[in-house]
Amino acid sequence: MEDMYVTAGNQERGWNDPPQFSYGLQTARPPPRNLLNKRAAPPAGAGAPPPLYSSNNPLAPTQCGLAPPPLHKGPMMTLKEAGRSQSESVPDVEAVVLVLKRALAACRQTIGDQVCNDVDKRLRLLEDGWRSGQLSVPVKRRMDALSQELQSGHWDAADEIHRSLMVDHVTEVIPWMVGVKRLIAETRNLSPELLQLLHHPAEPVQEPVSQS
Amino acid sequence: MAAERPGSKRSTVMATYQEFIQQNEDRDGVRFSWNLWPSSRLEATRLVAPVSCLFTPLKERPDLPPVQYEPVLCSRANCKAVLNPLCQVDFRAKIWACNFCFQRNPFPPSYAGISEVNQPAELMPQFSTIEYIVQRGQPTPLIFLYVVDTCLEEEDLQALKESLQMSLSLLPPNALVGLITFGRMVQVHELSCEGIAKSYVFRGTKDLSAKQIQEMLGLSKPAASGQQGRPLAPQDSAASCRFLQPVHRVDMNLTDLLGELQRDPWPVPQGKRPLRSTGVALSVAVGLLEGTFPNTGARVMLFIGGPPTQGPGNVVGDELKTPIRSWHDIQKDNARHLKKATKYHEALANRAAVNGHSIDIYACALDQTGLLEMKCLSNLTGGHIVMGDSFNTSLFKQTFQRVFSKDYNGDFRMAFGGVMEVKTSRELKICGAIGPCVSLNSKGSCVSETEMGIGGTSQWKVCSLTPSTTLGLYFEVVNQHNAPVPQGGRGAIQFVTQYQHSNTQRRIRVTTIARNWADAQSQIQHIESSFDQEAAAVLMARLGVFRAESEEGPDVLRWLDRQLIRLCQKFGQFNKDDPSSFKLSESLSLYPQFMFHLRRSPFLQVFNNSPDESSYYRHHFVRQDLTQSLIMMQPILYSYSFHGPPEPVLLDSSSILPDRILLMDTFFQLVIYHGETIAQWRKAGYQELTEYENFKQLLQAPLDDAQEILQTRFPMPRYVDTEHGGSQARFLLSKVNPSQTHNNLYAWGQETGSPILTDDVSLQVFMDHLKKLAVSSSA
Repeated sequence: MEDMYVTAGNQERGWNDPPQFSYGLQTARPPPRNLLNKRAAPPAGAGAPPPLYSSNNPLAPTQCGLAPPPLHKGPMMTLKEAGRSQSESVPDVEAVVLVLKRALAACRQTIGDQVCNDVDKRLRLLEDGWRSGQLSVPVKRRMDALSQELQSGHWDAADEIHRSLMVDHVTEVIPWMVGVKRLIAETRNLSPELLQLLHHPAEPVQEPVSQS
Repeated sequence: MAAERPGSKRSTVMATYQEFIQQNEDRDGVRFSWNLWPSSRLEATRLVAPVSCLFTPLKERPDLPPVQYEPVLCSRANCKAVLNPLCQVDFRAKIWACNFCFQRNPFPPSYAGISEVNQPAELMPQFSTIEYIVQRGQPTPLIFLYVVDTCLEEEDLQALKESLQMSLSLLPPNALVGLITFGRMVQVHELSCEGIAKSYVFRGTKDLSAKQIQEMLGLSKPAASGQQGRPLAPQDSAASCRFLQPVHRVDMNLTDLLGELQRDPWPVPQGKRPLRSTGVALSVAVGLLEGTFPNTGARVMLFIGGPPTQGPGNVVGDELKTPIRSWHDIQKDNARHLKKATKYHEALANRAAVNGHSIDIYACALDQTGLLEMKCLSNLTGGHIVMGDSFNTSLFKQTFQRVFSKDYNGDFRMAFGGVMEVKTSRELKICGAIGPCVSLNSKGSCVSETEMGIGGTSQWKVCSLTPSTTLGLYFEVVNQHNAPVPQGGRGAIQFVTQYQHSNTQRRIRVTTIARNWADAQSQIQHIESSFDQEAAAVLMARLGVFRAESEEGPDVLRWLDRQLIRLCQKFGQFNKDDPSSFKLSESLSLYPQFMFHLRRSPFLQVFNNSPDESSYYRHHFVRQDLTQSLIMMQPILYSYSFHGPPEPVLLDSSSILPDRILLMDTFFQLVIYHGETIAQWRKAGYQELTEYENFKQLLQAPLDDAQEILQTRFPMPRYVDTEHGGSQARFLLSKVNPSQTHNNLYAWGQETGSPILTDDVSLQVFMDHLKKLAVSSSA
C-alpha cells in the first residue's frame, strides 16, 4: 500500500537516527508480534566457561578463503514488495478543489466570514501549489481520496487522511492543510439541507472539469 | 481464586508459578517478588528481597469494559476499602464484610436484587481488577501548553515548528492549547480566532511569584482586585481562554503563529551561549495553569535546544569557555549552579504536581541541556523526557507523534491527575513507592515507619500516566517472630487508582490481590519456588537507582552486592567453604546474572555518560513495566543463522560468531550486527543471486524484527546497523559479558566468539567471587 512505508532517519543531524515510519504503518494494528523477549539460560554452572562452538562447522570461515553461503533449497518465498510502484493516474486538481470549494460554499451559510475567507485563502494556496507543480504525487493522491471521502460524508475517513498527510508530508501540506482540516470539521456539523449542496450543487459538476 | 493454586504439587510448581505470575500480570498488572509471603517480619527480612511488587495501574485491558457506577466503599471511616471478590457476602442479609478491616457493611439500596446467582461484577473472581466510570463535577477538556525555546538553529526551529503544527492535527478538537515562547525574553501568546496576535512579554531574569504572574497576565480572581461578591464570571474564563483555547477554534491562527516563529532576535556575541530563560518560561507556564486550571489534567510540553543560561534555574553561564558541569565537576563539588538550579526546578515541579499538571521535556541538542537539574519536573509529575540530537530527526519526530498515540478504543494513551492509594490487610504495611509520583502524605494505619523509596504515605499522586507507567511498591510484614501470621490465611492488598481518562471521564480502577502466608521455617522451599526473579531483580534495581540519586555510586554497588551475597547464602545449596558445591535452584538461577548486568549498566555506572544521560536513563528505568525494565538491565540478544530459526543467545562475547547476525535490544538502542562471514557474503553480493534467496531472507529477518520493535517503542530507540570490525560494533561489544578478553584469549582457543579488549570483570569471575563469598563461613 502506498501509505505504508519506511524512510531512513536523518543521519546528518542525529547519530544512529532510527528509520521513520509512515502514519499508515504507525497506526496499523501491529501484526501478531514475534516477541523478542527471551533470554538464553546461562550454562549449568553459571561460573563455568561458555561452551565452545564446534569448529567442524562447514560454514565456519576457512583460512584459505570465503566459502559461499549455503544454496537455497525448497520453494522460493515471495518477498513483500515495498509497494511504492503503483502506477495509478495522477488525480485532477479541478475535481479535488471543486469538492472542497463546494464544501466551503455550504459552510458559508453557518460560519463567520473571517473563518471562511481564511479557509478560502488556504484552498487557493493548495490550488496554486498543485498547479505550479509543488505537490508530490502521493500528496495529490491522498488529497483526491480525502475529497472523495468528504463528498461521501465520511468525515472520520477524511479526517484520518488529513492526519496522515500532516504526519507524512508536513512540510508540503502545512501552508494549506489546516484550512482543509477546518473544512472537514465544519462540514461535519452542517445540517442535512446544507449538506445537500455538497452532493447536488446548483451548477453542473462537469462544467469546471471540462474547462481544464 | 488463582492465588490458592501454587505450592501444592512439588513437581509442577515451577510451571504453575510461571503461569500464575503471567496470569496475574495480564489480569492485574502486578508482579510480586514473592508469591508466598513469610509470616513474620524477621523471616521477611531474612529473605533479603523485600515483599514488593511492580504495579501498572492503567495496564491496557481491552477485555475489561468499565462499569458505569460508583464503587461501594467500606463504611469504616479509616478504611473505605472497595467491595471486591475477596469480601465475605451474606446474600440473604444483604451484608458484606470488609476483608481489610472486617467491618460488616449493608449493601446500598441499588444492590437489593443481589443473590448467589445474581452478583455484581465486582464480586466475581475474574474482576479482581475492575474499572468504574464515575460522574463528578464538570468534565474538562485536556490541556496542552507548549513552551518553546527559540534559541535554536534555523533547521531545528523549522523542524520543531512543523512538528508542533502537525501535533494540532493529532490533538482532540476540543483540547485547550496554549503557546509560550522564550529566548532572552519570555512571551505568552494570546490566542484568538481573529485579529492581530498579541503576546505578553516577561523579562527572563526575574523570578516572579505565582501571584505576580497571574496579575501580569490579568488572571487574578475578582476578590484579589477588590471587587467582592461578584461570582466567578465569564470574564475569568474568558481571561484564561485568551491563552488557552480549544484547538478547533484557533487551529488556523495558531498554525500561522507557529509558522511565523523566528529565532530569538537577540544577537549572540562570539564566545557566548544564547541567553535562554527556561526557568522563567517554566515558572510562567506553571503559574498560568495554576491560576486557570488547578486540579485539572494538563501537560506542559517544554522543547529545548540547549541549557538554561539566564535567570532563575540557570544551569550554566553564557560564557562558552565555561563548559556545562560533568560528573567530574560534580564529584569535585565544582558545579556552581547545580544545587540552586535543582532546588528551583524542584519547587516548580512540586507546584505543578499539587495541581495535577505534568511537565514533559523534549531536549534536542548535541551538548547537555540541563536534564540533571530539570529532571524532577518530569519525574515528579509523570511527564516524559525525550533526549535527542536535533529536532530534525526521526527520533524526535516519531517519539513526539507517539505521545499522541491511541489505544484500541481510539482514546489517547494518556491519563491525568492520577491518585493511587494502597490498602493492606493488617499483617502488612506499605513502606513506599518508586516511580514517577509524589507523596500525598496520607498517613494511616497501613503506613510503615520504615521508608523505602517515597514513603510515609499510602497515597501517591501520578499527574500523568500511560498504560505502561509502572510503580515499584515495597511492603513490610507486621507480625513479630513470636506471633506470626496464622497458617492457611491470606494477606490482601488493594490498589485504588482515581484518574482522569483522556476522554475526560473520571474513572477509578480497583485491583485487589491476595497471596498465601507461609511459615518460612517449614515451607522455605515453597517460598523459594514462589520467587519471581525477574520482578525481584527490577524491584531491587529500582531501590538501587533510587539510592544512586542521592548516594555515591560505589556505596550503591556495595549495597547491591551485599544483598546478592545474602540472597545466595540464604537460598544457595552448598557445603561450607566449598565454592564448587554452590548451586541455585531454577527460580533464582537468572538472578545473579541480572545483578551482574545491572552493575555494569548506565543506571548505576556514570562512567562514559554525561550527568544528563544518566538522568535520562534513570528516568525511563523507574517508570517502565517489567519487560522493558528488564531489557534495560540485561539487553536481549537474538541470533539469526542458517542453523535454525532465530534464537535467544547469551549476552556474551562467545555469542559473536562469524556466521551469525545478532540483534541486540538495549531499550535505548537497537543494534544489528553482521558476523564476519555474513558481512563478507553481503559484500560479495550473494543476496542478489536468485540461488541464494535464502541468504537474502536471512539478511532481512533481523531487519523485520527490529522494525516491529521500532514501531512500538517509546521513546524511539537509536538504530545501529553494523558488522564485524565496524566502529559501531562497540555498542554490542560494550554490553556483552566479556567472557573472552585479550587477557584470557589463548585459554579459550581461537574463533570461538569475539574477544573484548577490556579489563572489566566477566560474569564467570563475578560468579566465582559470589560463590566464594556465599559459601564462606566467615562472611
